[in-house]
This record gives sequence, structure tokens and C-alpha cells, in this order.
Amino acid sequence: MSVGFIGAGQLAFALARGFTAAGVLAAHKITASSPDTGLPTVSELRKMGVNFTVSNKETVKSSDVLFLAVKPPIIPFVLEEVGPDIEPRHIVVSCAAGVTISSIEKKLSAFCPTPKVIRCMTNTPVIVREGATVYATGTHADVEDGKLLEQLMASVGFCTEVEEDLIDAVTGLSGSGPAYAFTALDALADGGVKMGLPRRLAVRLGAQALLGAAKMLLDSEQHPGQLKDNVCSPGGATIHALHFLESGGFRSLLINAVEASCIRTRELQHLADQEKISPAAIKKTLLDKVKLESPSLSVASASKVSLFTNKSPSSKKN
Amino acid sequence: LPQGKVPASSILASAPSDKNLDAWRESGCRTTHCNLEVLQESTLVFLATKPHVLPGVLQEIRPAVGPHHIVVSLAAGVTLQTLQRLLPAGTKVLRLMPNLPCVVQAGAMVFARGSGAGDGEAALLKSLLSSCGLCEEVPESYINIHTGLSGSGVAYVYLFAEALAEGAVKMGMPGGLASRIAAQTLLGAAKMMLETGEHPAKLRGDVCTPGGTTIHALHQLEKGALRATVMNAVEAATNRACDMAKD
Repeated sequence: MSVGFIGAGQLAFALARGFTAAGVLAAHKITASSPDTGLPTVSELRKMGVNFTVSNKETVKSSDVLFLAVKPPIIPFVLEEVGPDIEPRHIVVSCAAGVTISSIEKKLSAFCPTPKVIRCMTNTPVIVREGATVYATGTHADVEDGKLLEQLMASVGFCTEVEEDLIDAVTGLSGSGPAYAFTALDALADGGVKMGLPRRLAVRLGAQALLGAAKMLLDSEQHPGQLKDNVCSPGGATIHALHFLESGGFRSLLINAVEASCIRTRELQHLADQEKISPAAIKKTLLDKVKLESPSLSVASASKVSLFTNKSPSSKKN
Repeated sequence: LPQGKVPASSILASAPSDKNLDAWRESGCRTTHCNLEVLQESTLVFLATKPHVLPGVLQEIRPAVGPHHIVVSLAAGVTLQTLQRLLPAGTKVLRLMPNLPCVVQAGAMVFARGSGAGDGEAALLKSLLSSCGLCEEVPESYINIHTGLSGSGVAYVYLFAEALAEGAVKMGMPGGLASRIAAQTLLGAAKMMLETGEHPAKLRGDVCTPGGTTIHALHQLEKGALRATVMNAVEAATNRACDMAKD
């Protein structure tokens, strides 16, 4: 089985790294494409032995499972570009936040009567094989197709199937979740440093504390509230600290964060549906495409090339 | 009395005036104006005066206190040390902190024993008081905490109940009905906690349907930092109890 990534940014890199580390896929069975060869992840992918190309079409041709690993507003353009090359064997897996299965199926139906589409939401810790992934299968994706994806994603962390209408909430929780954790860890380390610890040690200990706590919770039948109580000796250090967290509305901040991320995801969905894309992004991707296709042309004469074709600009994901 | 643990005729209460004694007599208890008589007629003696009156009372009854007596003080802020100092050496002294709902047999009480009180006395007190609600023996240092949690805590619950009802009134429900439902809600939730023994966080989660009404409401409570505010309240009352004890 070969896997392709449209997009060679953080997500593509994280998944490729995870799959190869897990041993479910050899690097040479992975292809990734992006018009932007300057991305730091591109060289990382090359170093891993992944086939890198600037041609999305090439990626599609050499893959059975095709991950769309680009920013949500770019998805419609990518689908227009690679649509003609999608065959019945392809399983198209979109990782784009907020992009619905129906919008993808609608776009592809112009080229292929029964496109197999799966929508998935994962997160960056797939890179260390501790990802959190959910997926929902589209109209024409069979149970086996779902199971295939599940096997792949389970090799890099937790993976489960859900109803599509839950995916935005998952984005808010575990999609963005690592960022909340990084923020917390940065602040915890600051606390450690304030109280006298060297920074490196503070970071190491903070991360280990969260890792250990998460592991305890996953391994335990107990409610996190109970586990918290178990740490709080009467009148002790921890309960004093927790009081500060409560005073600051710690819990509500986290609830707010998950909610905000989920809501934003839904907004992005509307952007994708309307095929809106920021002028800056269009400008950059088109310019790159022009440079790649006509290396002999100077940048000054690029204006002679028609920038407004029906063909989509190449996809790009930072 | 309602539990039938002790016949009314075995209860003797004393007070300087008749003001409060009528209620006792109506229940069938005997009454007197003489504190010493209580000591002479009873083995288990509850000291239920206001704290500032207590030292004087102890002076008064001291000559009549013997090794067979079990003295239980209800006076807030009066330590076992103080009680033992003002009574004959070796007297069996215990300190009890109840709360208001004892009157409806749903009280929360803690007691601590002095150096002269043994397992027998502790067991007797616990058995007797269990008729009024939950009764636990604790180290003396917990008594002030109990005040902050449950002695005063009853008032926090009344405040919360009032606010719940007010919310309902705002949304269109008549006040009397809202109040009754608020009270029953608190009663039911508390009963579930006590009967299931489950962690309140888990019970809370059980009520929260994904995306439903409860989780939306809880978010509001968290935004208002309700938890921290409640912790502040318990802390403030406990600290005040400690301060008052020093006076």
C-alpha cells in the first residue's frame, strides 16, 4: 500500500514520521508534494526517504491512500486540480479542519462517480506515536476503507470512528489540545524557574508531570476529580495551589478554549465552502508555481503569465 | 426524642429563666433552674450555653462533677484544654460541633474527646447522636474546619438555593414552587452523593449530556469561579472560628 500527502507541512511530516517509526509503512512508499520547496518540513521529509515532488498529480498517481494535508481554504483548489486523476481505488482522506465530507464529495463527483472519502481529525503528537485521531467515513467509503485508515492511524496513537458532526468538537479538544498543553508547560516551567529551577530541568519535569498524569488517567478507571483528590493532602501544598487555579477560572478558560477552537473550525468550514482564499496566499502560491514552471523567465516578466486561469494553484501548507 | 433513643423523662434541662424551658416541658422533659441538679440527676451532661457564659457555669458545677459524669460541650471556640482546666482533673470531657439540620435529624456533627474520655464514651456519644444525623469523631483541630464547612455551610446552601430559585423566577416560574424544587434538588443530589458514595465529579459528569443544557450551565458557573469562591468561604469561616477561639 502506498500513501500520498498533498501538502508537505507539519501535518504531512508528523504523519510520515509516525508511520515510518511505527513500521507500518516504508518511507519510499510515501509521497508528498508541495509547490513550496522551501518549507523546513520538505527537507526533513527528504531526509526520511519520502518521495518528494512539486506535482500533486504525481502524488495522486503513486498513492492508494491520499491524505489532503493542506489548509482548509486550499482544499477546493486541490480537489479541482487532482480530481481528474482520482480513481476508484483511491481513498481520499481529508485532514482539513472544518471541511465536510459532502463538500469534498461534491467537488470530486465532477470527476469520479463514487469517490471514497474519509474525513479525519488528528493531531501533531502522531509524530511521537501518541496522536489522537477520529474519522468519519463518506458515502462511498466501505467499512474496510475505514478500517484501513484506522489501522494506519492506530499505529501512531489512539484512533476511533465517530459521526461526522462531532469532528469540529474533536478539533477544539484534541486537535488544538497540544497547543494548550504547550502553553501550560511553558507557564509551569516559568513557575519552576521563578522558584529557582534551571529552565531545562523545569521544562523536563513539567512535561513529565503532565505525561505521567495523562498516563495515570488513561490507565485508571477513576474520574480525574478523584485522581486530583488523591494528590491533595489536607492543608497541603497542592490544595493551596489548586485554589489559585480555581480563583483564576482555570477550568472555564479551558472550556472557553475548546469552545473557541470548535467555533472557529465551523467558520473555516464556511470559508472553504465559499472557496474564499486570502489574496496573499494566492499571490504567493501562484508566483511560486510560475517560477517553477518557467525557470528561464525573470520575475519581472511573470506578469505576462495569466494569473487567473481555471486551473487551481498548487496546494501549499505551512 | 423522635427516634426513641432516650425517653423524655430521662432528660433534664436547666436554664436561669423559663423562657426556653416551656418547649422542653412540652416534649415531656423535666426542667429546672438549678444547674447543679442536672449534674446530680444525670450522667451525660451537655453544656449548651453561649461560649462567654460557659466559664462561669463550669465554675458553678465543678464541685458536683464526678468520675461517672460525661461532659459534652457544644460551645463554639472553647477548647478541650480550657474545659479540662476548669473541671476536675480526669473528668471525661468531649467537645461536640453540630449543625442546624440536627433539628430534622439530618445534621452533620463532629466530636473530639478529651484526655479523660475513652472509647466507651466516644461510642456512647456517637450512637446517641447518630439519631440526629451524621456523627463522626475527629481530632480537635478539625472542629473549626467543620464550622467553616458545615456549621456555616448550611447558610451557603441556603444562599445557593435562593439563587437557584431566583433564576427560575427570572425564567417565569412562581417563587414558592421554585423554592421547593430548589430545595428538593439539593436534597436529592446530596442523597445520591451519600448513598452511592461516588465522587461528586463523576456524578456531575453523569448529568452532563454532550452539548446539553447542563454543561452549558456549568460553564457559566466555572466562568464565575464558583469553586474558588466557595473555597474562600470555607476558609474565611474556618479562620474566623480559629480567631474567635483565641479570644
